[in-house]
Amino acid sequence: MQIKLKVFRYLPHTGKKPHYDTYEMEVDPNDRVLDVLEQVRADSDPSLGYRRSCAHGVCGSDAMRINGRNMLACKVLVKDLNSSKITVEPILGLKVLRDLIVDMDPFFEHFRSVMPYFVNDDPLPEDGKERLQSPTQRERFDDTTKCILCAACTTSCPSFWANGKYVGPAAIVNAHRFIFDSRDTAAAERLEVLNEDSGVWRCRTAFNCTEACPRDIEITKAIAEVKQVIYSGKIE
Amino acid sequence: MTTNTRTIEKPKPNFETKSWMFMRYSAVLLIPLVFGHLILQDVIVGVHRIDLDYVAMRWASIGWRIYDALLLAFAFAHGVNGIRQVLNDFIQSDQVRKIMHWGLFLLWLIVTAIGAIALIGGVRPIS
Repeated sequence: MQIKLKVFRYLPHTGKKPHYDTYEMEVDPNDRVLDVLEQVRADSDPSLGYRRSCAHGVCGSDAMRINGRNMLACKVLVKDLNSSKITVEPILGLKVLRDLIVDMDPFFEHFRSVMPYFVNDDPLPEDGKERLQSPTQRERFDDTTKCILCAACTTSCPSFWANGKYVGPAAIVNAHRFIFDSRDTAAAERLEVLNEDSGVWRCRTAFNCTEACPRDIEITKAIAEVKQVIYSGKIE
Repeated sequence: MTTNTRTIEKPKPNFETKSWMFMRYSAVLLIPLVFGHLILQDVIVGVHRIDLDYVAMRWASIGWRIYDALLLAFAFAHGVNGIRQVLNDFIQSDQVRKIMHWGLFLLWLIVTAIGAIALIGGVRPIS
C-alpha cells in the first residue's frame, strides 16, 4: 500500500529549527511502523534518529507518538492504523535530543526515587533458602511486574506534561510492584515519597496512561490502589 | 495460602492528602445537595417563579438555610480546590504557588462570607 509518512525532525547540529519531513512510500500493510522507519533510513535518509533495540515489544526503546497516540513502533502494524497518512513524533513531556529521541533522564530519576528494588533485611528463613510466597500473593502484583519502562504512560499523562516534577505513572506502577509484594519490607518508605506534593495526588485519573500502555497494565487502577494504601495503611 | 492483609505505618497526611480526600467527600455530599437544589428550584418550583417573596419564604426555615449554607460552602470549596489543583500543575515557582493558594483561599472566604451574610442577615419577614 502507498502511505504518506510525516516524521518530526530535529537535528540540533544542523542549526535548523524543528520541522516535519514527509515521505511517500510503498509499504506492506503488515509492516510495523518500526519497519517503515527502517525503510526511510535505508532508502531515503540515514540521518533519521530513533531508539530501537529488541524490536519485539520487550525492551521498550521505541515508544513514540504515532498518529497522536503513544505506542511502541515495533508493536503497531501499518494496517492497524486504518490510515494511509502516518505521523510519527517524539513522546511528549521530555526534552527532544534529536528527531524521535528524547532525554529519558528525568523519567529514570522519577523511577529511581520510588526505590524500585526488593528490600528485605530480615534474616533468611531457617532453611536458608528462598522467602516463600503463595501463588495468590504473587498474583496480587502480577500486573505491575509487566512494565518495560518505555515511558509511553508517563509521557501521555497531562499532569506530567504540565509539571515534570510529578513522579508519573511508570514510577508509581513500579512502586506498586514492590509495595504489594508480600516479601518486601520497604512499603512505608516508598509511600512517603509518593505522598509528597509530586507524588500520587497529582494523578487526575485521566486514564491516558492505561490507554497508552503497550503491556496493557491497568495503570490508573494501580495508582488508585497506592492512594488507598497511603490513606488506609493497609496492603490488601 | 491466601493473600494476607498487611498493616504498615502510613505516611503522615499532608495538605495534598487531606485536600484529595476533601474532594472525594465533598463530591459525595454534593450529589444530594446539588440534585436536591436543582430538582426543587428548576423542576418543582420553576425558575420563573423564584422571586424575593419565594426566597423569604424558603429562608424562613432554618433547615433550608443550613441546606443552602452547606451547598454554598461545599460546592464553592470543591470548585476552588479543583482550580487550585489545576493551577498547581502549571505554576512551577513555590512562591507564586503560595500566592495563588492564599489568593484562592481569600476568594473562597469572601464569596462564602457574602453568601453567609445573605443567609443570616438578609432574611426579611414574609410579605
